[in-house]
Amino acid sequence: MIWKLSLTGIKSRLKDYLVLFSGLTVASMVFYMFLAIAVNPAFIKNDIHVRTDYLKYIFIFGIVLLVIITLVYLLYADTFLLSMRKHDYGMYMMLGAKSTRIGRLIFGETLITGLLATFLGLILGFGLTWISLKILISKLGLEIPHFQVILPNAIIITIAFFLVIFLVVALANVYKLTHTPVITLLHEDQAPVKFRYRPFLRVIEAAGGVFLLAIGYYVMTLPKEQVFKIIPTALVTIVIGSYLIFAAVFSSLVGLLLKRKSFSYHGIRMFTLGQLKFRLQSYTRVLTMISLLFALALGAITVGLNFDSLNDLATQSVYYDATIVSNSSAVKKAESKLDVISKQTYHYKETKKILYFDQAELSKQPAKYVSVNYSNNRGVTQYTVKALQVNKISDSNAIDNTIFMRMVPNHGQQKVKLVSSKELSKLSGQKNFVSLLRVKDFRQAYPIIAKIESQQVKEKPAFSALVPQSKAAFYGNSLAYSSSFEFMGFFLGFAFLTMLASTLMFKVLSGAAGDKAKYRMLYQMGTRKQLLRRSIKAEIGVLFLLPALLGVIDVLFGLQLFKDLLENPYRSIWIPFVIFIILYSFYYLLTVKLYEKLVLTKE
Amino acid sequence: MTEILRVEQVTKTYGKRGEKQYQALKGINFTVNSGEYVAIMGASGSGKTTLLNILSTLDKPTSGHVFINHEDNSTLNANQLADFRSKQIGFIFQDFNLLENLTNRENIALPLSLQGISTKRIDPLIDRIAGRLGIEQILAKYPAEVSGGQKQRVAAARALVHEPAILLADEPTGALDSKSARELLDTMEDLNQNDGITTLMVTHDPFAASFASRILFIKDGKIGKQMLKNELSRQEFYHLLIDHLDTDE
Repeated sequence: MIWKLSLTGIKSRLKDYLVLFSGLTVASMVFYMFLAIAVNPAFIKNDIHVRTDYLKYIFIFGIVLLVIITLVYLLYADTFLLSMRKHDYGMYMMLGAKSTRIGRLIFGETLITGLLATFLGLILGFGLTWISLKILISKLGLEIPHFQVILPNAIIITIAFFLVIFLVVALANVYKLTHTPVITLLHEDQAPVKFRYRPFLRVIEAAGGVFLLAIGYYVMTLPKEQVFKIIPTALVTIVIGSYLIFAAVFSSLVGLLLKRKSFSYHGIRMFTLGQLKFRLQSYTRVLTMISLLFALALGAITVGLNFDSLNDLATQSVYYDATIVSNSSAVKKAESKLDVISKQTYHYKETKKILYFDQAELSKQPAKYVSVNYSNNRGVTQYTVKALQVNKISDSNAIDNTIFMRMVPNHGQQKVKLVSSKELSKLSGQKNFVSLLRVKDFRQAYPIIAKIESQQVKEKPAFSALVPQSKAAFYGNSLAYSSSFEFMGFFLGFAFLTMLASTLMFKVLSGAAGDKAKYRMLYQMGTRKQLLRRSIKAEIGVLFLLPALLGVIDVLFGLQLFKDLLENPYRSIWIPFVIFIILYSFYYLLTVKLYEKLVLTKE
Repeated sequence: MTEILRVEQVTKTYGKRGEKQYQALKGINFTVNSGEYVAIMGASGSGKTTLLNILSTLDKPTSGHVFINHEDNSTLNANQLADFRSKQIGFIFQDFNLLENLTNRENIALPLSLQGISTKRIDPLIDRIAGRLGIEQILAKYPAEVSGGQKQRVAAARALVHEPAILLADEPTGALDSKSARELLDTMEDLNQNDGITTLMVTHDPFAASFASRILFIKDGKIGKQMLKNELSRQEFYHLLIDHLDTDE
């Protein structure tokens, strides 16, 4: 009987349940995707150019962050679930249902809702993983035609993680509800809100908040040598500063507006402000957390997208785009696809001690190399292109021999000697050649160059010693690194934003039941429905806007931390902001709609 | 005397056609003149709440008309009804219905600001009504910080501050202790007699009803009888009322 009651209870609030359910589903879906990528066997096998094991660590780091946000999210989703069911539970208990019975009911409901959402999330997660892997693999330029999306390990971990969380949440719910007096369960909505007045303390808090935030923002602009001091300082000052700002500054501002009668004695403004004043007080913690995590999410996306600029940096230390040592038809065919702007070929023979190069070839077109200078005191690396000084080649102290290391496999101890073409032909041993290419657009040519290098390794295994020094290898590694950061920043940021916005939504909706009477009264007093709707939009709008605003400011200052690492950390900042605005507006409108449905009764 | 409220052949039927229907009001007729203090008495289920909802324009009659200040409110759309309520009607409810997140002053200011009264005029109007109801000292407090009796005075101030055509009171003493209830009823009587505030109170409490100048009895959806106070004192009217209720049972 009591289960039947419970089902009818859920049915009557089906729409609200669906919102909650879809939120939980998204959480488990994203969680599975991250896990499936981190443990995917497709990435365990190393490509010659790309160290895919980076991916694993980056994604595990992502999972840790995801666990934190999922926990927070579930906490608020559960509060919403309870707020929907509290009255019903109270009613069953009033009618004489034993609290152990109700306990079982709550436990069952929470666990079933959670697990159903987890399973649905897993199934959708398979699809999401497939799409993400496709994107990721093509971004990395890898050739992995077959990859798995259904990974038993990842499935088990996902289920276990959510099972444990929901078990804990269910037990906490049982404890909370069975230890609350029935009368409170039934009438909690009508309990008067407590308001603390301590204007003096409020002023101190407000000033402290602004001061701490200012310090936090300031230290992030300091030179990066003291990064280990900067980050903890910024973290502490910004967290506490934000909390104080929400606790004191915003509600004081609302209070001031309320006191300014030429503003507040206007239509329904007074009511809206009154609502906000109290809400800001009880929302301090959630708003602080949301603003900080927003900043992290936005920052993650922005920085992630900017890691792309590291790829250009990675290619700067090598002058030539490709090194060709084979004239097989496969290599020639691939080479013909390149948009070559310069090609120089050198012939050489080697003995154990000496490398003989054709002098005419080198003199005509001296090979070039990039000299890297780290000695700049701001930590900025300088790259200078230099040409080989052919006349000084016999002086091993005056010459940078790295150039030959990029041309001849395993060149180390051999002396370089320049000879005429005739002499070269006379020397015993095999005559080798090496061609150094520059192409029009390296990034575009990268997949072909990578293919040429793999082919050459197949044909001439010794060439593999040159590969790690090649531009393609530098670029490939940087790409793996930056793409996985970009990808993770993007997905994680996306997941964060979604969950945070819905956390805020659940928090607002949890209070709806208690507001119903207020809106009914205003309606009775002759307030037009449009005016009530406008008030709801304004109130929820401010609650959504404030953490977003603070979060955005945090990001703008926070990106200063990356100004030495990235060329321009503010580049493409509009992308995360647009995503953020779209997602956030969606949740805002959804919250307004659901809230209106909960508080405005049809007459 | 001018007529403030006229109720003509009002019926209210619940349930759709073809389904089981229940008629809560079966043709109600009465009028209230300016400056009158009328109580509507009836037991639970007699239809008094339905009637009050229709008078306050929160609900529409199935048939019949309600005129307040000669305006037929069945012809008004939702927005016009809202405006009508905010101008013509003042409400006092059993459970005060004050907004907990606004101070008492702000609660009283609300009907005025909703009507778009200029901000400069609002505070003097509040001070005047607060003085009249003896609540000047608690204007800066929140409803949760004052007693039930004081809350109901704040509610009364809010109901009257915009000078509505009629004050509708729904069991206004229902949640008050006997002393506060007595004080509130005295105040309402005083407001009616000295300020000429037209009042319509719905109650099941004979003591509260005895403060009115006329009592209408509602039973099974119909107005049965009415009693007039005329020259009787309040005590005499109360005893007459008790006798009537005894014999009516």
